[in-house]
Amino acid sequence: MTSITLNNVSLVYRLFEKLTLSAPGRRRSALGGNIAKSGTKQVVQALDDVSFELKAGDRLGLVGPNGAGKTTLLKVLYGIYQPSGGTISIAGKVDALFNIHIGFRPEATGRRNIVLRGLISGWTAAEIEEKMEEIIDFSELGDFIDLPFKAYSQGMAARLAFAAATALEPEILLMDEWIGAGDASFQEKAKRRMDELAEKAGIIVLASHDDALIQRVCTKKMTLRAGRVESLT
Amino acid sequence: MIAALNGAFDDISKAMRLHRVWIALAHEDIGDQHRRTTLGPLWMLVNYFAFVGTFAFVFVTKDAGNPSYIAYVAIGMLVWFYLTETITMSVSLFQREASFIQGTTLPLFVYVMRLTMQCIIRAGYSLAGCVLILLLGGYGINTNWLVSMLGLLLIVLATPAFVMVFAFLGAFFPDSEFIVGNLMRVGMFFTPVFWVYSGQEGVQKYAYRWNPFTYFLEGVREPITAGIFPIQALAVTGYVCLGLWALALLLLGLYRKRIVFLI
Ligand SMILES: Nc1ncnc2c1ncn2[C@@H]1O[C@H](COP(=O)(O)OP(=O)(O)OP(=O)(O)O)[C@@H](O)[C@H]1O
Ligand SMILES: [Mg+2]
Repeated sequence: MTSITLNNVSLVYRLFEKLTLSAPGRRRSALGGNIAKSGTKQVVQALDDVSFELKAGDRLGLVGPNGAGKTTLLKVLYGIYQPSGGTISIAGKVDALFNIHIGFRPEATGRRNIVLRGLISGWTAAEIEEKMEEIIDFSELGDFIDLPFKAYSQGMAARLAFAAATALEPEILLMDEWIGAGDASFQEKAKRRMDELAEKAGIIVLASHDDALIQRVCTKKMTLRAGRVESLT
Repeated sequence: MIAALNGAFDDISKAMRLHRVWIALAHEDIGDQHRRTTLGPLWMLVNYFAFVGTFAFVFVTKDAGNPSYIAYVAIGMLVWFYLTETITMSVSLFQREASFIQGTTLPLFVYVMRLTMQCIIRAGYSLAGCVLILLLGGYGINTNWLVSMLGLLLIVLATPAFVMVFAFLGAFFPDSEFIVGNLMRVGMFFTPVFWVYSGQEGVQKYAYRWNPFTYFLEGVREPITAGIFPIQALAVTGYVCLGLWALALLLLGLYRKRIVFLI
């Protein structure tokens, strides 16, 4: 059964003073998580005691001001960051859409990028073959699919990224502020696909500053502030 | 310690299951480097010929045009360029892959193999050039070539370990990128790539004896230019290879989860 459980998860970014020959003394912005000193190191507490539970069919919207810890939380869920404290247990196949440019090679064609993206996500050659036409159809890129990725507009790139990330029907889909680039008709289409995913007992976690989008897509809403859960409804 | 090694092996076995990823990405890398050129990757061959030709021409000794010196330089350059390129590219590996490391959950060893693969493909062009020079120089293919291939094989086996050790070094000490880059450039003069050691005293003796790269080179070169079985060179290469792997596994096991916070 697909589920996500977090218990008292915290994450600290240590700003390692990398051993350099250059003089220290940069200025750092005070926005976002809590900056503290631990020994000689500067640390940012990006997540602090975060606990929640999601079951199959949940669609969680993450909101909060810049630097609240939304992206950090998604990356912890995806497994990129190991939390500094607390425990996580995740059941289900996870796919994520962070930055639309991650995992796409500007010089390669859209088609080649789908293959690469598939390989990176661990798809088999047969699965890639099978999903190729569907991804191209869904993205509505037509002949542009055989042009290099760098020739795409932002919205076109977002279409391809979304189509590829959702093609294999991940059980858990994490998305970070991406959809804004798509036009209205694509957003409608994307929402239908997310509905389908959620109905198939999937979990979606979506971070966004667009309240209307969260309202439309999500069933739950969690507000983060300075790394702490402010409200969960 | 045991946990670290388990972690390292876990990372490696995951990466081996994703072998099609790094093979595909390495091909893309080579393609990207030469996308708008006419000769494409053949430039690597041209580059190699230019270097060997220059050295063979400039260092004319009393046996000028001596095919054995040309063979000496040709093999020396092949191995040296491979090692330099691998090492200098390794130091900045994790920084270059930052967007992937921060955006996907691919095991680190995938990036290691991607670079290994890329370096091997590039060296393939120089290897073709080297074989051509040897054949033109009258070195017929014989059993000594097998011994030489054993030397090459050891170097290839050591490559992922070289990549890992220098990649971690570069991630923890960013300045090492420049230090290593300069050392490798200078190192060419302290390694018998184009000069021949024939029992001189002084710097050359130490550079010959105590430089591990000497043995990497001689393991491949001696079977062909001197026709001997380079037992000492192969043994040293083997030990260095084992030592590097031990260090690399330890680093991978202990620090692989920290890299994403460092770059
Ligand atoms: N690589 C990093 N190194 C150090 N600190 C970081 C790093 N990434 C993020 N932070 C800090 O962690 C905190 C949370 O950042 P995060 O990116 O998760 O915020 P966010 O909620 O996604 O913000 P935004 O709405 O701007 O996307 C911030 O204070 C930020 O400065
Ligand atoms: Mg963010």
